[in-house]
Amino acid sequence: MDAVTASPNIGRSIPRLEANDKVTGRIEYIHHLRLPGMLYGKIFRSNVPHARIKSVDVSAAEAVEGVFQVVTIDDIRKVIPHPYYGPAFHDQPILADGKVRFAGEPVAVVLATDKRIAEQAAALIVAEYEDLPGVFDEVDAMTSQTLVHDELKPAATFPDLQHLKGRKGTNIALDYHLVRGDVEEGFAKADHVFEHVFRTQQVMHTPMEPFVSVADAQDGSVTLHTASQGPSFVRIEIARLLGLPENRVRVRVPHLGGGFGGKLYIKLEALVTALSMVARRPVKIALTMEEQFFMVTRHPCTFTIKSGVNKDGRIIARHCEVVWNGGAYADIGPRVTQKAGFTSAGPYDIENVLIDSYAVYTNRPPCGALRGFGAPQTAWAYECHTDMIAEALGLDKIEFRRMNILREGRPQASGTPMVDAAVEQAMDHTLDLMNWKLPFDRGSGKIRRGRGVAIGFKGITAPTTSVAIVNLYGDGSCALYIGTVDMGQGSDTVMAQIAAEVLNIDPAAIKIIHPDTDVTPYDMGTLGSRSTYHMGTAVRLAAEDAKAKIAALAAELGLPEGTNAPLAELLRRKYGMQAGNIIGTGSFIPDYQKPDTKTGQTIKGTPFWGVGASGAEVEVDTETGHFTITKLVNVADVGTAINPKMVLQQLSGAAIMQLGFTTTENMVFRDGQLTNGSLADYKIPNLLDMPREFINDYTQSRQKDGPFGAKGAGESTTIALSPAIGNAIADAIGLFLPDLPITPESIFRALQDANGTPLAGE
Amino acid sequence: MTSFDLVEPETLEDAFKWLGVDDSSVRPFGGGTALMLMMKAQLFTPVRLVSLRKLGRQFEGIERSSNDGSFRIGAMTTFSQLEHSPEIRAHLPVITQTMKTLANVRVRNVATVGGNLAHGDPHLDLPPVWMALDASATIVNSSGTRTIPVGDIFSGYYETTLEQGDLIAELRVPVRPGWRSRYIKVTTRAEHDWPALGIGLSLHAEGRVIKDLRIVLSAAIDKPTRLIGAENVLRGKEIDDALLKRAGEAAADETHIETDNRGSAPYKKHLLRVHIARAVSALVTE
Ligand SMILES: Cc1cc2nc3c(=O)[nH]c(=O)nc-3n(C[C@H](O)[C@H](O)[C@H](O)COP(=O)(O)OP(=O)(O)OC[C@H]3O[C@@H](n4cnc5c(N)ncnc54)[C@H](O)[C@@H]3O)c2cc1C
Repeated sequence: MDAVTASPNIGRSIPRLEANDKVTGRIEYIHHLRLPGMLYGKIFRSNVPHARIKSVDVSAAEAVEGVFQVVTIDDIRKVIPHPYYGPAFHDQPILADGKVRFAGEPVAVVLATDKRIAEQAAALIVAEYEDLPGVFDEVDAMTSQTLVHDELKPAATFPDLQHLKGRKGTNIALDYHLVRGDVEEGFAKADHVFEHVFRTQQVMHTPMEPFVSVADAQDGSVTLHTASQGPSFVRIEIARLLGLPENRVRVRVPHLGGGFGGKLYIKLEALVTALSMVARRPVKIALTMEEQFFMVTRHPCTFTIKSGVNKDGRIIARHCEVVWNGGAYADIGPRVTQKAGFTSAGPYDIENVLIDSYAVYTNRPPCGALRGFGAPQTAWAYECHTDMIAEALGLDKIEFRRMNILREGRPQASGTPMVDAAVEQAMDHTLDLMNWKLPFDRGSGKIRRGRGVAIGFKGITAPTTSVAIVNLYGDGSCALYIGTVDMGQGSDTVMAQIAAEVLNIDPAAIKIIHPDTDVTPYDMGTLGSRSTYHMGTAVRLAAEDAKAKIAALAAELGLPEGTNAPLAELLRRKYGMQAGNIIGTGSFIPDYQKPDTKTGQTIKGTPFWGVGASGAEVEVDTETGHFTITKLVNVADVGTAINPKMVLQQLSGAAIMQLGFTTTENMVFRDGQLTNGSLADYKIPNLLDMPREFINDYTQSRQKDGPFGAKGAGESTTIALSPAIGNAIADAIGLFLPDLPITPESIFRALQDANGTPLAGE
Repeated sequence: MTSFDLVEPETLEDAFKWLGVDDSSVRPFGGGTALMLMMKAQLFTPVRLVSLRKLGRQFEGIERSSNDGSFRIGAMTTFSQLEHSPEIRAHLPVITQTMKTLANVRVRNVATVGGNLAHGDPHLDLPPVWMALDASATIVNSSGTRTIPVGDIFSGYYETTLEQGDLIAELRVPVRPGWRSRYIKVTTRAEHDWPALGIGLSLHAEGRVIKDLRIVLSAAIDKPTRLIGAENVLRGKEIDDALLKRAGEAAADETHIETDNRGSAPYKKHLLRVHIARAVSALVTE
């Protein structure tokens, strides 16, 4: 659907600026980078989930010809005295320090002149451990005597996480609470109370370009070439670790082969920096696809949701207790806990709400940000719960939603009003695309068909800043200096369209200067659907600033106001030759009010709302549990679609990713050991798994304070997809499944349980 | 991965010379698709790989005998060659059918019939099909030639009866008039996943009476295995729901199925019962 716009650049599906270079194999990726004298690092990892390290014998590895050095934490401490990092807690050692906290944790690194030699030598390292009891399940971790960290070390880098302390003597890294009204009183008054528990599994980002970083440390400075989504944060954190001013740390990022939230904050950057300092040579580490499972993953979550409902179908009270399994290191998990906790009561207008959201440490690979930032896990619970209540009360599932939906202007649970949030429109558009009003074939015999709908929303990380520079050269050509990382989402193109719209030039002729902290200004990170809104606004402001400077120059040269003399001409007149620049700058931070730490109440807790609705039709073979998604519809509110085609690509990409998290992807652990750590055994969906009919679309809406009415689009279709499928399956078989992923076996087991003929365990 | 020798002998004699050492890091090399995965995972570090690419006629080609119509298929025949052979499509359509969901074009273009059998991976799709078709393999080594039923190649999980220096040279596949065959690949996660179970089924029926049949199970067990018990329930009988149910029970009883990430043992046994019944009934009424 195309936005109605008279503009030459906004609402136009121009091709991606980098498309040609990508398909001809010319684009720069860090994977291809080789520096003179560069060493390759190969990580030796722990094979136990929780243990004290007794010894690490590196002698055999060091004896291999071509090995430069084998590095452990003892070597690193000589160059970085406090080798701990992290965005929320400084809890993660650059290499295991005395203890290992998950199976797969880096313990030592072999540096060699050839990556195969490094790999071969790493296999010769022998570590001895004294096993400690492990804690793996998030609910166990809440009360377990086994502590993953003896001491909690808050980082205090970000304003929204400054109150972090963690709870001493527990595994709880953060607890977030939101209180609205009096939930107990609400339950007491309600005609019906429903309580259900939902669980989601651990999954990972699976970017096709695995993590890769190169560091080149000199005396008193370091250059990082890294596949990162957040070069500004990398610079700040590396500068902190090394005790250097920011201007001595340079972070360069070209294109990324996907990130999905995984490549945020510090990943390999601290390690390669330390290694380069130890070796006094440039060092590169490139993970294999298999090693990605040990870098960062998505939080498993157990969500207990309780609702008080009146007999007319009004929800009057809701209590959400959400426990997030953060793995061994907090990474950005505390913010996930807080942000996803914040919207965990769903897009419903409920008088009494209590939310308790906990980030806990366990002995699993660390969990961090992943497309949707916790919203998909919470929506799985609140939207299945919605259908279960409607079913129990005999209410129409759509009308029940409509009766309770959060409408424009109404305060969300935190007190922040819903503004420019097309929740109901997204649902209605989904229903239209589902042909909801037409009769539906429910199948017969062993084949049962069903359909379901779900809605969801998310808040956006706040407050965050983006800064942009527009540079117009002597001939009038234009470059845009931004810290936004184009990892396939098309930000280069969208930012060029925004600048072009203001400056009235051809977006395809604009050059994007990719993140290089020596050159490009600050940006908080390419994350959480924030770039189009935040950086887009900064770019708009920078372009307007440049435009004002051009007008001032024209006035200075005595030209009439509104002259259409080209900029090149103006500059030539001023400098007597092709010379000079016009530099426009823009900086943007949205309004924000810090939530009250006890009640979570705030009148401005999010700059905008991410909104998604999904609908699914399924066919279930009740004799085997095998199911087919015959139709899948996803609708997002993206405000104005600046580049409609790229928006649709984002919507379908996000949906396919969430489809994997709903049906096929699952990191399976046995005693803390990952049992399926390769793509042969961890199944991401491919073409054959696509729904037979797959429709993605957006509402006709506008984010009034966004650039040309736009807001983020990268995550919205992840939110409501899982419960739409879960609800469709429940509609087909008459049973709700509380756990993700939904598999043929879980369906079959549920059917057998309901028949009173349960299938034996394993 | 570290360096190794790759040799391409042009005669069997040379091949045996290169292979004739008591060292399991010296191995024959067909399409290399399985070897490369093991090498990347550091499960196998070769000292020498002996390519069978230039061994000529005996290892190549798809031919039909003018006597009995049976096929001779060289061990170096690629999956793509099988897939696109009009003769195979006409007389062994089950092979063409199986290729549709086997790996991808790039793998099929290089993976070979011989390497596929010698690999001994119980999840592979073709072994149960060859077994259901009553195929036999000709194995050559420096002291002679032997021909064995394909099923006799497998002795356990990634284990075969092939000895160092043994080469699979060719397959013989009979064309049995009146028989129909089918391969059932049952996946429980993504469509393109390794099968939770594979069933190779071949039968000769008159009306609803099954004269003879082969049922071979793979993937759910340590090696592709004929389900004799289930075959015996069905052989010579007219099928009905009760008989199919008994055959499914017999199949589930005679196998040792392990739990893995594709499904619990009880669930996979249930799938075995259902899919045997469905496949037999579909083939009989085809
Ligand atoms: C991406 C991918 C997807 C796949 N998907 C599927 C799938 O869906 N279904 C499926 O069934 N399979 C699948 N496979 C596996 C594939 O079928 C096997 O890897 C292939 O059949 C092995 O054949 P090859 O010729 O490449 O063997 P090679 O790798 O060359 O050899 C395998 C083994 O056999 C030995 N060997 C080779 N030739 C001979 C011979 N003539 N005599 C004696 N020993 C020999 C080698 O020494 C080695 O031990 C997949 C593989 C890949 C890489």
